[in-house]
Amino acid sequence: MKRMNILLSLLLSLVLVAAACGDDDAGTTTTAAASTTTQPAAEETTTTVPPAPVLIGAIHPLTGGLAGAGNRMDNGARMAVDEINAAGGITSLGGAPLELISADSTGAPDVGQSEAERLISAGVSAIIGTYQSAVTTNVAAIAEREGVPLVIDVAVDDSILDQGYTYTFRLQPNATSMGTNGAKFLSELGGDEIKTVAYLHDDTGFGVSVSEAFTTAAAALGIEVITDITYAPFSVTDLTTEMAQAAAGSPDVIVITGYYNDGLLAARAAIDLEVDVKAIVGIAQGAFHTPQFVEDFGADAELFFNSNYHFNSSDPTVAGILERFEARFGEAMDTEAMLAYQAIYVVADALERAGSSDPADVRAALATTNIADHFLAYPGPITFDDTGENINAEPVLMQVIDGKVQQVLPIGLRETDPVFPGTSWGS
Amino acid sequence: MRGRSSKVVWAGLAVVMAGVVPQTAWWDLNHTVFAQAVVSGLLIGGVYSLVAMGLSLVFGVLDIINFAHGALMTIAIYASYLLFQNYGVDPYVSLLITIPLLFIVGVGIQRFAINPVMDAPVHNQLLLTLGIAIMIENLALVLFTGTPRSIELAYARNEFDLGVVTLDFPLKVFGAVVSLPKLVAFLAALVLAGVLYLLIQRTQLGTAIRASAQEPEGAELVGIDVRRIYMITFGIGAACVGAAGSLVLPFLFVAPTAGATFTIIAFVVVVLGGMGSIPGALVGGLVIGLTQELTQLFVPGSKFLGVFVVFLAVLLFRPEGIFGRVRR
Repeated sequence: MKRMNILLSLLLSLVLVAAACGDDDAGTTTTAAASTTTQPAAEETTTTVPPAPVLIGAIHPLTGGLAGAGNRMDNGARMAVDEINAAGGITSLGGAPLELISADSTGAPDVGQSEAERLISAGVSAIIGTYQSAVTTNVAAIAEREGVPLVIDVAVDDSILDQGYTYTFRLQPNATSMGTNGAKFLSELGGDEIKTVAYLHDDTGFGVSVSEAFTTAAAALGIEVITDITYAPFSVTDLTTEMAQAAAGSPDVIVITGYYNDGLLAARAAIDLEVDVKAIVGIAQGAFHTPQFVEDFGADAELFFNSNYHFNSSDPTVAGILERFEARFGEAMDTEAMLAYQAIYVVADALERAGSSDPADVRAALATTNIADHFLAYPGPITFDDTGENINAEPVLMQVIDGKVQQVLPIGLRETDPVFPGTSWGS
Repeated sequence: MRGRSSKVVWAGLAVVMAGVVPQTAWWDLNHTVFAQAVVSGLLIGGVYSLVAMGLSLVFGVLDIINFAHGALMTIAIYASYLLFQNYGVDPYVSLLITIPLLFIVGVGIQRFAINPVMDAPVHNQLLLTLGIAIMIENLALVLFTGTPRSIELAYARNEFDLGVVTLDFPLKVFGAVVSLPKLVAFLAALVLAGVLYLLIQRTQLGTAIRASAQEPEGAELVGIDVRRIYMITFGIGAACVGAAGSLVLPFLFVAPTAGATFTIIAFVVVVLGGMGSIPGALVGGLVIGLTQELTQLFVPGSKFLGVFVVFLAVLLFRPEGIFGRVRR
């Protein structure tokens, strides 16, 4: 009976914890008493001794449910560091090599935060990360307090940069850009044929922020969200009922936002139900534009859309990066890994221009970043506004056509014409 | 007593349904959604039952809170996946491999890890099984990376001519779809429950297992090697979750955390059904599955809220679970 009581109290506490973590959009950052740690001044580098390596921290979920993406991102960052070092390191620092310190957020905001503190006390000049909005919110607060720049490779929530931070910069499109551009693509794609949408999304800060942005932007374009269905992305094992709910009001299109596993479940449910819609469109969806989705899903993957960040697949340089990654790590590189790879190049560029590894100098250099020869499908160079958003960060609309993820919008980045109405089971 | 209480639960559900359903405006529009929720609830409930049976057995007999249960399922998921990817072995054929494999793994874990701590304080056992779970999960991460993978059954959307009737998958029942792999998992849950029940109630081994569960000292006195029975029991529990792993592969995903997704819900099912009760695990799983999908209809996005409301209600009114007996 004693065991029973222990088990019950355990279960109850788990339930309470789960309930408390229900909305990770709240971004509760523990503001500890601001300990003003002064960074040790960068050592005078003389030309006689070899220059000390510049430390860069990378925080991603290396274990837990998001470990797949997290490890690919860490590998992307590692590859960038090795390539920069092989090319002679940071010239303005006398050829100083970069040294990557990888940290595991485990997917938990509090762990991400303590890892950020650990990296900063180890003396990093900058941090990149973290794949999740909730974790990034906490890490950004620490970066600001300690005065170490954070370059966000992946994390979508607008509110991260709404705090007036000066030390945080974001490479990927934020939730507003994702939602707004997603709505724009829909209206461009379907014109008058898309009037109503059912939205199925995860209930974390990620899904909620993107869907809100989409709903607002879509309304302005005459597209109405008639159903909004949420689910818990890390505990869900079946989305058939949710998909049936989404299809119930006969929407023109079903829009999906979420991570990889739940995207898979949603896609399966749509195919099983043969939902009678004109298209299924992911917006910032973690699965529908990935190589393994196409590989594992086979013919069923055909005609799924996804409006998401994407590496510039028409650039031969990018093709080379993809090849090197696959040769080295034995799996296909995805855009998340490319963003982490890019983030290291952004930091290296700032170090080069700053001629210093002092975090404050790196921040100042990051603020004036202007990189035209980047690896992403953006309409312009990487350059940050006052809040730290990448001005030209925009998603592209992709569709699985003939077993390949192909860019279909905007016209300037089009690889092939979209298939619309786009469902493989036809109506 | 047993019969009455489960009737009370069902009657309670029925009253709630009957009270709420006609009040809702969507009822006219959404018969099919409602049917889908019931069907999905039963099907996913069957999976919960599958996972919970082995856990219930281990819990009832050994009194061990096994947090590694979901991780054992992950081993089976990966084993079936690798057999499919590398040798084209059908997941249902790979049951012939995953069931014995997990039996051996279970016996090994009991023999080398859990037997030595059978008399240790509960929190030590908890930490041990949790440690095993973390180890398995991270081993999978190192060996297979965290990239989620999946497989599709080539024949999941075929017609099957059974002579009497032709089944065209996915089946349509009152407008709700029943996918082939989920139906197979559901039927397997029923079969496994029957097999386990007969094994425990009608065989000599089953008698020895029940004796070791109720009176370990007495069992030793009449010549039963209780430590060996414990090993076999844990092995059977692991074999059950091994079967579950192979059966969910075609409609779930392959990732180091795939099995762990079920751990908590399996504990809920075990407590709800009654410790050590196989019929309890079966009925408990179906109740939880139905509850979760019907909750999704009325409170969208709070699937698991309903589960814990039902769970707490059962604990308040029947702390030993639906089929449980009042223990010592």
